[in-house]
Amino acid sequence: MERVGGNFVAPGQQRYLRACMVCSIVMTQTRFRQEGCPNCEEFLHLKGDPEAIETCTSQVFEGLITLANPARSWVAKWQRLDNYVQGVYATKVSGTLPEEVKTVLEEEYRITYIPRDGSAVETE
Amino acid sequence: MSDPRQRDDSEDEDDFNPAPEVGSDVEDQADGNDDDDDQDDSPRRENKRQSPARSPAGDDHDGEDDEGEGEGEDVNGNAHDEDDDEEEEDEEEDEDEEIQGHRRKRRRDQRNAFIDIEAEVDDEEEGEDDDEDAEEAEGFIDREEVGEADLVGREDDTRHRELDRRRDAEETFDAEKQAEIYQKRYGARRPARGMGDSGVVPQRLLLPSVDDPSIWGVRCKEGKEREVVFSIMKRVDERMGTKDELGITAAFERGGPNSVMKGLIYVEAQRQNDVLSALDGMLNVYPRTKLLLVDIKEMPDLLRVQKTPTLEPGSWVRLKRPPKHAGDLAQVLDITQSGLEARVRFIPRLDYGMRDDPLAAMTPDGKRKRPLVGPRPPQKLFSEVEARKKNPRAISGNPTSNTWIYNGDEFENGFQVKDIKIQLLTVKDVNPSLEEVTKFASGGEDGVENIDLKSLAASLKDSSASVTYLPGDVIEVYDGEQRGVVGRATNVQGDIVTLDVTEGDLAGQTIEVPTKGLRKRFRPGDHVKVIGGSRYRDEVGMVVKISEDRVTLLTDQSTTEITVFSKDLREASDIGGQGSLGQYEMLDLIQLDPTTVACIVKIDRESMVVLDQNGDTRQVMPSQIANKLPRRKLAVAADRNGSEIRLDDVVKEYGGMGRQGKIVHIHRTWVFCHTNTTNENAGIFVSKVSNVSTISAKGGRSQHSSGPDLTKMNPALSMGPKGGAGMAPPPKPIIGRDRLVGQTVTIRKGGYKGLLGRVKETSDTHARVELHTKSKVVNVLKGDLIVKDAITGRELKNYDSRRPPGMGAPGRPGEGRTVPDWNGGSRTPMASSMSNRTPAWKTPSGAGNGGRTPAWSKGGGDFGGRTPAWAGADGSRTVNPYDGSRTAYGGSGSRTPAWNSGSKTPAPDSFSHGSKTPAYGGSGASDPWSSGSKTPYGAAAPTPGASGGGDTWGYTPGASGSSGAYDAPTPGALLGAPTPGAMNAPTPGAYNAPTPGAMNAPTPGAGWQGGWGAADAPTPAGGAPTPAASGSFAYAVNAPTPGAWSAETPAASGPRYEDD
Repeated sequence: MERVGGNFVAPGQQRYLRACMVCSIVMTQTRFRQEGCPNCEEFLHLKGDPEAIETCTSQVFEGLITLANPARSWVAKWQRLDNYVQGVYATKVSGTLPEEVKTVLEEEYRITYIPRDGSAVETE
Repeated sequence: MSDPRQRDDSEDEDDFNPAPEVGSDVEDQADGNDDDDDQDDSPRRENKRQSPARSPAGDDHDGEDDEGEGEGEDVNGNAHDEDDDEEEEDEEEDEDEEIQGHRRKRRRDQRNAFIDIEAEVDDEEEGEDDDEDAEEAEGFIDREEVGEADLVGREDDTRHRELDRRRDAEETFDAEKQAEIYQKRYGARRPARGMGDSGVVPQRLLLPSVDDPSIWGVRCKEGKEREVVFSIMKRVDERMGTKDELGITAAFERGGPNSVMKGLIYVEAQRQNDVLSALDGMLNVYPRTKLLLVDIKEMPDLLRVQKTPTLEPGSWVRLKRPPKHAGDLAQVLDITQSGLEARVRFIPRLDYGMRDDPLAAMTPDGKRKRPLVGPRPPQKLFSEVEARKKNPRAISGNPTSNTWIYNGDEFENGFQVKDIKIQLLTVKDVNPSLEEVTKFASGGEDGVENIDLKSLAASLKDSSASVTYLPGDVIEVYDGEQRGVVGRATNVQGDIVTLDVTEGDLAGQTIEVPTKGLRKRFRPGDHVKVIGGSRYRDEVGMVVKISEDRVTLLTDQSTTEITVFSKDLREASDIGGQGSLGQYEMLDLIQLDPTTVACIVKIDRESMVVLDQNGDTRQVMPSQIANKLPRRKLAVAADRNGSEIRLDDVVKEYGGMGRQGKIVHIHRTWVFCHTNTTNENAGIFVSKVSNVSTISAKGGRSQHSSGPDLTKMNPALSMGPKGGAGMAPPPKPIIGRDRLVGQTVTIRKGGYKGLLGRVKETSDTHARVELHTKSKVVNVLKGDLIVKDAITGRELKNYDSRRPPGMGAPGRPGEGRTVPDWNGGSRTPMASSMSNRTPAWKTPSGAGNGGRTPAWSKGGGDFGGRTPAWAGADGSRTVNPYDGSRTAYGGSGSRTPAWNSGSKTPAPDSFSHGSKTPAYGGSGASDPWSSGSKTPYGAAAPTPGASGGGDTWGYTPGASGSSGAYDAPTPGALLGAPTPGAMNAPTPGAYNAPTPGAMNAPTPGAGWQGGWGAADAPTPAGGAPTPAASGSFAYAVNAPTPGAWSAETPAASGPRYEDD
């Protein structure tokens, strides 16, 4: 809703896609750099920071989800995406956040970080 | 989001407690302890009722669940219902309401019903506190209980203050403003808050309900799943806010290289129509095909995520890239923190610039060099020396630690070390072979092998996923709910095995279990075979011990005990032994040394037992075998009766043990036969061709066991009247294939008159002709055929007596096949080509002729094409001294020289050959072999018979040399004497034609032939050792005693000899 349009990525550009390890949104590296993560910018500060993008997003992800209506979609709810913006997300993002980022997340922002690489599911 | 709320609304207040427990147990305790939150909270709590009031508000924002849980009220319920149908903006407003709701509730708990409306205000004022996280908020229930004692005391005070504050606030803000403020304050934080929130709600509470949108699976082009998802995204974006706004809420794909959900995307929407309209006209997706509605229960499965197995240092992977190393084994040294890259080491494939094309490197246009095409360099540890030698500038490094950088690549201890993204590694089903792993292990400087067996075992065990179960396997479930169940697999589909349970509680039932918790089950005493995975592959043995999934078995071969995983075993149906060892299989014919061949009769693990041509068995190692002789399906020999024998014919030994068996190999003068009457040597026995007689021929070839047909040998007869018509003898039994077969013919008579065709098969009187014009095979009388040259189309002299022969009367008109006329015609080119080639080949021309002619006569296909080539090959392989071998060989090739040589080689021709070849005389004098190799006559020369032949020649230049030769030595000179004519006569065939068998024949008449053929014969001709002789009468080779010379002649050892 914050953003309308621009979520489309042409097939030729899809090799530059990365997924945010926190919210799993999938965007091109360029967009991460220009706009940051629309959901997590507050604490990940990806905008204009290639290094942060490198560490907090992953090129390894599977199962793309187009989220047209995050509020009403069960898929969004199940994936815990229901408060996020419209866009393309991944069901699974491999890789883990750097420890310091995790710490910041949990202590400063009181966010329980759920890894999106599938490791969380098994513990439940 | 809406769902839990709804659900909660519908439930009683009983749910109030359980729900928070889920998310906030920990916090509750934390509150009790000296937690940060606690610190924050308690003062506030003690101060006022503020904190309870505030905390619900915070709660609302931080956890909508909690709201839901707390609510039992209609008002709120309604709010939620609306909520469900609105966009997020609305939601936010709703939240405000909810906040109120909370407060109301709070108040009511405190029995302060009248404060409801004003609750919001607190929040305003305590905005800063609202930033407190969810945990605090969730604690509110606790707080109530815990702090009750305190609170009760201050209740009045609190209430009054609140009331005051609220009044103030009311004056200051109206609802809209409030909303704005909230929006502003929390709107920005939404994502973060959502995160924290969802982190707390266990996924099982998020299971779909009937009110959630449905999910449809839609077919799409495989591999295009991602594109489709993005296309949908694009469309969603485009139509956003227009009247065609898409009704779908989400769409997703679970494709991927290993997924089973390829070729499908899933679209979530309330109505199927939404799906259709959303996908209408989109590329690569096929909404018009049947949509698969996903069952609610299965929806979570669609989104199941499996953790990629984490790599650990030491584990084995395979590289996908760089292409040069694709598939190579690598060992993980380290993993980056993000888990996305691994540092691996592998054996480099370096050529040290050997193959760099200097030109390509210098291309001025700056084009990228093409990736290396062609074979990649072999794996070899990095060598500093090599690198320095070829490209000293590209290397730098530290010799003490043995780390180098060469051309930008890092090398440590000879291994290349590289950081590689994990998506470029194959992590699953690596199955490193021991061989590969050893390469890594032996990399140690000290040469000590330090295989990490543990990591190897782990890698191997991982591969258990690839265990294959086959129907019929007895399988035990060792893990999971069905543990202990034993059954027989009846069906295997993917990784689901259907078991017919035979033991346990479920006996008699059929269950389906995933392969994960299965293992094969064996019992001591079972006869099993190792099928894979381990280095004991293909061992067969008996189970002696079982411990968990490890099975110990006693091998049949070596009677040693080995232990393998049960997954690598199968019940064995065969006993002992593999059927093959390397390239060698049972019953293969092998060459042990130049003069010895043998047939493999038993194969052991490392060695094999062979039966050689002399009937001896010996044990040999594969390394002792010089060569494996291909089985030649077309090998032909003549039995003691002169009948043609081929593979698969059933023959019986004459005399001796009288064994009878089917021919598996024919090699020169030996046949290896297989019999079922004994299993000694796997039923294989060896015999001389001259010592067996045909019992039955495969495919019912016509057989005859007659001796030589004397009438045919009689030149007088064959000379006959020129017309020959008067002579028509009774049809003769015919040896071998009708030469007519395969010839191009035209039909002279009948409905098919004038049509061109090819003879497919013949009987005595008829030929079946395949017409060129229409694909049809017709039966035509042989006499109604005109034989044409397949290439030139020239008419060949018909064998039919009614057609006057041009070259001379056929000796036996009746004997179509051997009629010389015909032969003569076609023969001519052959002869000439022969002469052209002869010198080059060094093959005795006679032999050559012989070799070839029969080919022709036999029906080109068989030998014609082959003989020369074969001879050539032979030549190339054989050293000169073995020229003889060729001869012999050629001779053998011609196997039916009697008529071949005669009939085909125009006597004059061969003569001229002979006479032209200087070697002739000289060879006779000097070296029989070489001479033999050059000219048949030369060959003949050394033999007395040959000399006699010389005479004969003088006498009858036209005569076939061979005949002359025979003449001389044999009393049967009768041949020679009368024959000048005969020879010249178109009927060289006379002798030759009819009877190869004749040679062997003991008859005196045969004597002459015996002379040559008769290696056995005492005649000097037997000296036939001359290659020439052998050449022209290859038959001799097969003759009963050719062994004499064949053995002597290196020729005999010609490796390929056997072949013909």
